Amino acid sequence: MSARILPGAKGWPRVLLSRTYDPDAGLAAAERAGAWSAWRTATTDLGPETLIRLVRDAGLRGRGGGGYPTADKWRICRAQPSATRYVVANGYEADPGSATDRTLMETDPHAVLEGVALAAFAVGATRAFVAVRADATVAVRRLAAALREADEAGLIGQDALGTGIELHIELRELQGAFVVGEETVLLRAIEGKRAMPDQRPPYPVVKGLWDEPTVVNNVATLASVPWIVTNGPTAFRKLGAADEPGTALVHVTGAVKRPGIMEVPTGTSLKAIVKAAGGATGTLKAVLVGGPSGGFLPADALHTAYGRMALHEAGAIVGSGSVLVVDGSACIVELATLLERFMSDESCGKCIPCRIGTRRLVELGERFTGGRPRPTDVQLLSDLSADIRDGSLCGHGITAPNPLTSGMRYFAAEFEQHITRSTCPAGVCAPLRVAGGVA
Amino acid sequence: MAELTIQTDAASAPLAPSTADRLLDVQAPQRPLTTPTFTIEVDGRQVTGHEGQTILEVCRDNGIEIPTLCYEPKLPGFGACRMCVVEVDGEVQPPISCSRTCEPEMVVRTQTPRIRQIRKTNLELIFSDHNAYCLPPCQNKCPSHIDIPGFLKANAEGDFRESTRIFKRTIPFPSVLGRVCPAPCEEHCRRDEVDEAIAIRDTHRYAGDQVIKDQARGTKAPVPFEVQAPSGKRAAVIGSGPAGAAAAYYLAIAGHDVTIYERDPAPGGMLRYGIPQYRLPKDEVLAPEYEGLTDLGVKMVCDAELGRDFTIDDLQNQGFDAVTVAIGCYDTNALGIPGEDAEGVIDGLEYLRIATLGLPYPGHAGTSVVVIGGGFTSMDCTRTSIRQGARAVTLVYRRDMKDMPAANEVHEAIEEGARAIFQAAPTRVVTDKQNRVTGVEFQRMRMGAPDASGRRRPEPQPGTEFVIECDRVLLAIGQGPELGWLSRGAAGVTATKNQRLAADSVTFATGRPGVFGSGDARVGSATVVEAVADGRRAAYAVDAYLKGMDLEAIRTRQTLAEPQPEFLSIVPYTSEVKEPRIRLKAMPAEVRNLSYVEYEIPYTQQEAMEESKRCLQCTCEAIGFCDLRRQGIEYGTTLQTLEPARTGLSFRSVTENRFTGANHDYIRDDSHAFILREPSRCIDCGRCANVCKEVVGAACYDFMRTGFDTLVTTPLDMSLNTTPCVSCGRCAETCPTGALMPKPRVLEKYDVDESRCILCGICVDACPYDALRCGPDFELAHESRAEPMIDLMAIAAMDRDTEMTYVRRERDWLERAQASGRQLDPGRLLPMLPSGVASNGDGHRHDENGHGGGHAHAK
Repeated sequence: MSARILPGAKGWPRVLLSRTYDPDAGLAAAERAGAWSAWRTATTDLGPETLIRLVRDAGLRGRGGGGYPTADKWRICRAQPSATRYVVANGYEADPGSATDRTLMETDPHAVLEGVALAAFAVGATRAFVAVRADATVAVRRLAAALREADEAGLIGQDALGTGIELHIELRELQGAFVVGEETVLLRAIEGKRAMPDQRPPYPVVKGLWDEPTVVNNVATLASVPWIVTNGPTAFRKLGAADEPGTALVHVTGAVKRPGIMEVPTGTSLKAIVKAAGGATGTLKAVLVGGPSGGFLPADALHTAYGRMALHEAGAIVGSGSVLVVDGSACIVELATLLERFMSDESCGKCIPCRIGTRRLVELGERFTGGRPRPTDVQLLSDLSADIRDGSLCGHGITAPNPLTSGMRYFAAEFEQHITRSTCPAGVCAPLRVAGGVA
Repeated sequence: MAELTIQTDAASAPLAPSTADRLLDVQAPQRPLTTPTFTIEVDGRQVTGHEGQTILEVCRDNGIEIPTLCYEPKLPGFGACRMCVVEVDGEVQPPISCSRTCEPEMVVRTQTPRIRQIRKTNLELIFSDHNAYCLPPCQNKCPSHIDIPGFLKANAEGDFRESTRIFKRTIPFPSVLGRVCPAPCEEHCRRDEVDEAIAIRDTHRYAGDQVIKDQARGTKAPVPFEVQAPSGKRAAVIGSGPAGAAAAYYLAIAGHDVTIYERDPAPGGMLRYGIPQYRLPKDEVLAPEYEGLTDLGVKMVCDAELGRDFTIDDLQNQGFDAVTVAIGCYDTNALGIPGEDAEGVIDGLEYLRIATLGLPYPGHAGTSVVVIGGGFTSMDCTRTSIRQGARAVTLVYRRDMKDMPAANEVHEAIEEGARAIFQAAPTRVVTDKQNRVTGVEFQRMRMGAPDASGRRRPEPQPGTEFVIECDRVLLAIGQGPELGWLSRGAAGVTATKNQRLAADSVTFATGRPGVFGSGDARVGSATVVEAVADGRRAAYAVDAYLKGMDLEAIRTRQTLAEPQPEFLSIVPYTSEVKEPRIRLKAMPAEVRNLSYVEYEIPYTQQEAMEESKRCLQCTCEAIGFCDLRRQGIEYGTTLQTLEPARTGLSFRSVTENRFTGANHDYIRDDSHAFILREPSRCIDCGRCANVCKEVVGAACYDFMRTGFDTLVTTPLDMSLNTTPCVSCGRCAETCPTGALMPKPRVLEKYDVDESRCILCGICVDACPYDALRCGPDFELAHESRAEPMIDLMAIAAMDRDTEMTYVRRERDWLERAQASGRQLDPGRLLPMLPSGVASNGDGHRHDENGHGGGHAHAK
């Protein structure tokens, strides 16, 4: 799925999509646009410690949803008493409804690779992996080409830039369930094992790929690093929200006039994001922020800032970077059940709350939409959601109840209509009984 | 070396190094000594942990129990089951203790309500997709928890001796109970969901009768367990009724020197003096079954009554280490109505006592009799009165027929000519001037709200009085124990408020050390099977006491040993072929009224086997080993739907928990010779996969598919035979449930046909116990297979075909061994081969010698 890149609102800065070059035109074109200059600076003028300090001063946080300070992650990894360390760039965009990472890798593959190289240099890794979905064929082709060119040009390799730095970057095409996007799952998948998570802690930064310290960063995080090196941490800090400066790629879809991907400074309100996508086509009923395991926010919560903490408080997540605009023709109960079904089917099946619990959530949702709710179901939904959230092994299970719980939180009336009166206000849930008669 | 010198110098009085010190010097430093330790707080306790240990390891080292299902001690924590979650101060998301390393000053809580709730939810989720069951409902419902599927299986194979042995593990009297038990098991039989419940009682009656027939020919009855070596302890049992006899039986098996004191001239208690001959023949059934006691060396002292001939003091002074009082209930309750002392009002038990001796009760013939009560005693009084020629017999019970304890016998009494009146209670006995009974006045009752027993409480309806004219009134309204002996030489033993012997329900201890109480005397009059169960449990408690165990420890052990309420029954029985129950035939009422002869016509062998074969064997072989079940019990996720009983709720609704929804029904895989896979019982903990991969290296299993359909299984669900399985059995060993089991089998030893061996050596490679070795010419080494070869695992339910093959091989081996002049103990063989399957039973070709085509033997 290739998505259109939107210009965004006036005055929005560009970091990730700042370079404009033809990615198929070869390394020279990319270098003219500024690629690999940060890498040269870092390896010749800065040391790893300085590089980490730069990133720390920039306040860069993980863009994959976790929001952990990138410099801290690197520092911890660097401090591990191990001869071998790895860097993994997480470009496995699991959400089928979002193409932000893919677009980034297609538009500026060199920035991603340069970020990987910088991270590896910072933590002292000699091997790094870029994990990409196998079906993102354009991204894979461009990354592979960029990697080959960088290697041939001596930018990376046995003796990168003649500085004696050894760095090998490998491209890994992976295919699997939604849960592969979780970092420990991704590591197992790279190792060639069944894609199932491991309990954290120990975090990958202590015990990761093949049990060695491993930095796992989202490709968008890594692609920000060359910009920071080039433009300096102060410039980066000025972008976006104070607590997590920078920009994020957001994929706006659904009932908007101009769906597509835009680079948004963190802290921008959802309202502004929707407006930059041309606004809703009809009445905006809700926005689903964060992908299938994200949360529904109602129209009157559109002032929420697009940032990790604010979204968390509102009941959603940054997640895959998707913002799905829902108009009045959709039934939140039905949509939440659909998403829950996706989460259940995509579970790896390792831990019980996620494997069986999410399935029971689906069954609850289907009872609501099918007009067969039990009197205890509302309580059961809230109890079970809490136990799944607290009991699950990885982020997949922890966030899985979000669609239903956020739906219940903001669209309680719509749920109640389904549960107590067996009617669907949106007219979507077909087999519901009509009040007082036969369907 | 220099440091060592300094140290030695520093010590003011250098000691000559001992041998041990020298050994320590040359040894490498031991890791535990050098691992730094620190303390953490767990549930308010300060405990010591070593650096690098997980929370779970520290807790287990310190005796703090955290439940786990997927944790395999040989491997690092896996984190699938989420049962070992704990709370750690300062952390929002509760970590799991199996993979969380301890840090100094950590504050851990393992049993907070939130944590327990998460664990409970996990268990409920597992159960909601656990398409299996634990105990069969019959066994669960039996007061003595007999292994019913076990003995039915033996029955179905025609092995009635083994069937009786299994039965005697929990009740020593299969034939007696086969006649007098109300069979609560049959009410809950799952076969009822197909067609009709199994005739459980009638089949064990048949099996018991066969053993009695053998006894007449001189073969002793089977003993359920190996009799223990004499313990040197003496135990007295007072009363030889069902409770006393059962207690004595199991105490004798436990190796104690047991003496029974019996008030009456012959042992048996109510079995002999309360239950009429036509229901329980004394010489033909009761006496031979009681022989089992004397066979075990139990001494019987008759005509010795507690309180009259001896006291508790006397027994303890005579050197008895334990005294068990099981004197039963012989005091018939009074009606408490006017005219009760009239001539012609007879204690039902007194009446039966005379009748069971075979004597006619004086003047009973031709009278009109009213029997008051609804229990088995009332029924016995009614039916005996008919046999003794009473003109008219009327049974009156104050509740409804379905609430009658003896409900299943009442139709037989009516068949024999009795009249039954329900919902009426006596208000006075009508007498003439000589104070002789002429009738009884009754009042109609209305059924009110359910009482504590779950039955509806009868409420009198004034103005509905009526009189039944009669000559005699037999009272059978329940009995209590005679407790007059408590006042003489029994200090410390007391009675309860409602005049029962005060004894604990688990440890059976009375207030006096070494004195125990059991049976009806403790609980009040109940059924024979309840009394036997009480006696057996008392025997275990007394045995533990005699072995010097703490009584409170006994309490825990006994509680765990008793089966718990039923778990699940998701399985619908839709594909079973309907085969109706084979009912016992009875003599016509006109004939049986005339005599005390047993009126039910027993099964033929064919019928007994056919009926036993109907059993669905709905039991899990992992009972007792299943972690899931244990934790389900601990966290209260058991489903007690069998319990609400009489209050109008269904007995057998599909058991549900709050999550019940879609579930998986997988196919059982018994293609492998050693490992039985029952994926419906799998909880996807991954232990087998991890052990097989990391410890064994074979990697036969892994998680397959995703989402709700995830299952730990072989690739493409193929048979284990086509995986790199080395038959080591470690997967079955680690499985926390019954999903992977060592395949049950009969064979204890293998033999090798050398003429067919191609010297491939696979057996040598595969044997987990190195029982087979490569010889000099890569042949199986003779010394390793000459005599006992491989001891196999426990025997439970088994696959029939495999079993047949092995039984035949076993028999062939025995014949050969005997032909070659080797002395063998025939008892080593389990005689499981049913008759009629002599040589060519199940499709295998056999030569004339009965040797299986594929299993010819070495010459």
